[in-house]
Amino acid sequence: MNAIAQKLETIVGSSGVVAWDDIEAKHRERIQQAIAIENYPCLTYPQTQAELADVVTCAYKNQWKILPCGSMTKLDWGGLAQGVQIVISTERIHQLIEHAVGDLTVTAEAGILFADLQTTLATAGQFLALDPTRPESATLGGIVATADTSSLRQRYGGVRDQLLGISFVRADGKIAKAGGRVVKNVAGYDLMKLFTGSYGTLGIITAVTFRVYPIPEASSTVVLTGNSDAIAQAVTSLRASALTPVASDLLSKQLVTNLDIGQGLGLVVRFQSLAASVQQQATSLLELGQQLNLQGLIYVDDETELWQALQQQMRSPTKPTEITCKIGVLPTNAVATLTQFNSHMGLIHTSSGLGLLRFDADVDKQSILQMRDFCHSQGGFLTVLSAPKAFKETTDVWGYQGNALSMMQRMKQQFDPNNLLSPFRFVG
Amino acid sequence: MLLRNQQHSKWKPLIKQFEAVLGKNGVVQRKEELITYECDGLTSYRQRPAVVVLPRTTEQVAEIVKICDRNSIPFIARGSGTGLSGGALPIEDCVLIVTAMMRQILKVDLENQQVIVQPGVINNWVTQTVSGAGFYYAPDPSSQIICSIGGNVAENSGGVHCLKYGVTTNHVLGLKLVLPDGTITEVGGQVPEMPGYDLTGVFVGSEGTLGIATEITLKILKTAESICVLLADFTSVEAAGAAVSDIISAGIIPAGMEMMDNLSINAVEDVVATGCYPRDAQAILLVEIDGLAVEVATNKQRIADICKQNGARNITTANDPETRLKLWKGRKAAFAAAGHLSPDYYVQDGVIPRTQLPFVLQEIENLSKQYGYRIANVFHAGDGNLHPLILYNNSIPGALEQVEELGGEILKLCVKVGGSISGEHGIGADKRCYMPDMFTQTDLETMQYIRQAFNPKGLANPGKIFPTPRTCGEAARAELANKFDSVERF
Repeated sequence: MNAIAQKLETIVGSSGVVAWDDIEAKHRERIQQAIAIENYPCLTYPQTQAELADVVTCAYKNQWKILPCGSMTKLDWGGLAQGVQIVISTERIHQLIEHAVGDLTVTAEAGILFADLQTTLATAGQFLALDPTRPESATLGGIVATADTSSLRQRYGGVRDQLLGISFVRADGKIAKAGGRVVKNVAGYDLMKLFTGSYGTLGIITAVTFRVYPIPEASSTVVLTGNSDAIAQAVTSLRASALTPVASDLLSKQLVTNLDIGQGLGLVVRFQSLAASVQQQATSLLELGQQLNLQGLIYVDDETELWQALQQQMRSPTKPTEITCKIGVLPTNAVATLTQFNSHMGLIHTSSGLGLLRFDADVDKQSILQMRDFCHSQGGFLTVLSAPKAFKETTDVWGYQGNALSMMQRMKQQFDPNNLLSPFRFVG
Repeated sequence: MLLRNQQHSKWKPLIKQFEAVLGKNGVVQRKEELITYECDGLTSYRQRPAVVVLPRTTEQVAEIVKICDRNSIPFIARGSGTGLSGGALPIEDCVLIVTAMMRQILKVDLENQQVIVQPGVINNWVTQTVSGAGFYYAPDPSSQIICSIGGNVAENSGGVHCLKYGVTTNHVLGLKLVLPDGTITEVGGQVPEMPGYDLTGVFVGSEGTLGIATEITLKILKTAESICVLLADFTSVEAAGAAVSDIISAGIIPAGMEMMDNLSINAVEDVVATGCYPRDAQAILLVEIDGLAVEVATNKQRIADICKQNGARNITTANDPETRLKLWKGRKAAFAAAGHLSPDYYVQDGVIPRTQLPFVLQEIENLSKQYGYRIANVFHAGDGNLHPLILYNNSIPGALEQVEELGGEILKLCVKVGGSISGEHGIGADKRCYMPDMFTQTDLETMQYIRQAFNPKGLANPGKIFPTPRTCGEAARAELANKFDSVERF
């Protein structure tokens, strides 16, 4: 056991530190996907927010570099961190602090599992309106740090729109907070937005407060498939209609094929509301599809499975050599973007223009960069989430093309002047 | 006199430089013209700026800010001046940058549901521009017919319809900014979640302390198929509060849910004479629901039932725009009406968990009696955002100080029950001394990181949001004792 691990043991006890060689193989693999050079960091599991603060204080004094994580489900996303000496997992800091049922808010520690929280909320007929990657094992803190949600953005917005309060351990080990536990609050700067999607570079999230929503009475999903012009027409008509879907995704041809839900481009639209409304909306969209000569089907009882399969296809690469990207384009360019991309799997949310692309293992770097240029020309971006390490070592994964980079760097400099937190993992 | 001459000689060359950028018409320096700009909507604080500039373009704003930066002159941005926390209150010897000439709607993209505006554009012009095509801009502060989008961005304004659709920050996709050193930077874009830190999210609600937004990309929403407003009156505030809780518990999220107490009801009826709000009611509840016709019809019935179960006497509903407007009219005019009840009034803006409503209202009543000032309560009941209006007479010496103390006690009460000292008006100059009641020294120091990154010289809107020992001596000192208390107070 190295000196760092020994020192950490004095803070978190022997059960809270694992030396590199003793880390479970699957975890070791995940960590290796997140770090640049062959460092051999130790892994530590503080049990409380205070203990985490002590660990970071100690690291700060010794200038040890930290890779924060939750349950490691997304460590393969983002840039490669450099010189990491400690991996800190918040997995054991997982108390539910307060579910204020009547106030539609929930406050929990960062390590709580998303799935566990949803189970608790469901007992009161409420839910957290996020649909993150690997929902069964993702932690709340990790979801915030990577801004990870999916199709529900249509109705509920992104993680940023639902996060009401945050507390975190700063690079110097002090605990700070912002926001609060109420749904409306403008006191002080909005650090919730700043921390959402910051990949552990500004601080380690210890607790969060989210807005929650009542579970809708009924739910059903309409799938339309067919040629791209007709699908584009359906999207335009849907947008102009009075219908209020909670999710509306465009699917590439390959994704439609893999899901075995039809042929051509796909439009998958979910309605959740009062039963009568859901039925009316689904029927109305199906009719619209039929008028456009699209194949259509309404999923009612098996719609959960459909959405799970969709997530599975998009978010669980079968080979480590595959490349998954998060993209954004102007919503009106979504069909054109997916048409460019028909031989791969891709999905774009029709209202925000955000989506995911999943490239086969044999894709070359040039194709990705071309796709990035294309997204950029459509008013958006392409960020590489997971990719082989060799690819990340030679590519800018973020693809930031704006002129605020120096401001972002100044922000990082303020929060973490010695670059100890997730060094080099994020933009700049 | 010597001092005055020195001041004069300091400003003369600066004004020349401003005039070179904006022309003579773009610079206001005559004492009597400057009076207009002494205060914003919080009229109890006043300070005349040294000079007011009226730029028309991003580049002009950048040039002005560069001159300020080179000469270390503080500058403060102002939109329509309707803010209620003194966010646009000048300080001595500052330049006030007024966006009143930046009123162009630069781009309307209906297909992608976004609009790009200059900061001086008035809030409801956005909706007016797109309503013909079936869209609207959701955040609707009560002052929406005069407040500017730039000011809304600075304060992260809310409104009566933010219960379901969120506040300004949920509707801003991107910003063009002039940073405090005069650099022009773009954050966010036409698509959400662009790579990098969410600086758009950081900027919205930063109360002019991080720079000036000169172009704002807003999201617009599709108008709902059906909208209904329901008015219920109650014989007790508690009953109305219980109805609010029951509506939320039933899984209904109305577009807006507003409550007014007896004093506000009578004030409104005196002034606007809506004839809709019964004068003997102890509370009225206004609930707006929207969605598909079938949803609105069902929820209207459910909400009416809930109100009746909680003792509502009468329930009026309105589906057509005219009657809806009539039902809303009183609520929208509530602040103005308070002005007729009393020579002066002081608006507070605390937030509480909505389940604490009955307790907090009782405590406010107690404070009202203890201090001897009448308090009219209007609030966004759905999201727990209270607007107690404290009625007083500013010509009585010492009254303002007492009223401010009373307002402070209400804010402390909000924090005590787990709420916030501002829901939508901002901290500004008014509430900075209460920040330590809500945040620890470490929290505040961490927020300063952001200010340091954007505004290292501190020239953009100095003295706002954060307490300083000079302005809040006692509060700042009291804070030192509490500095290790952060975890429990989250």
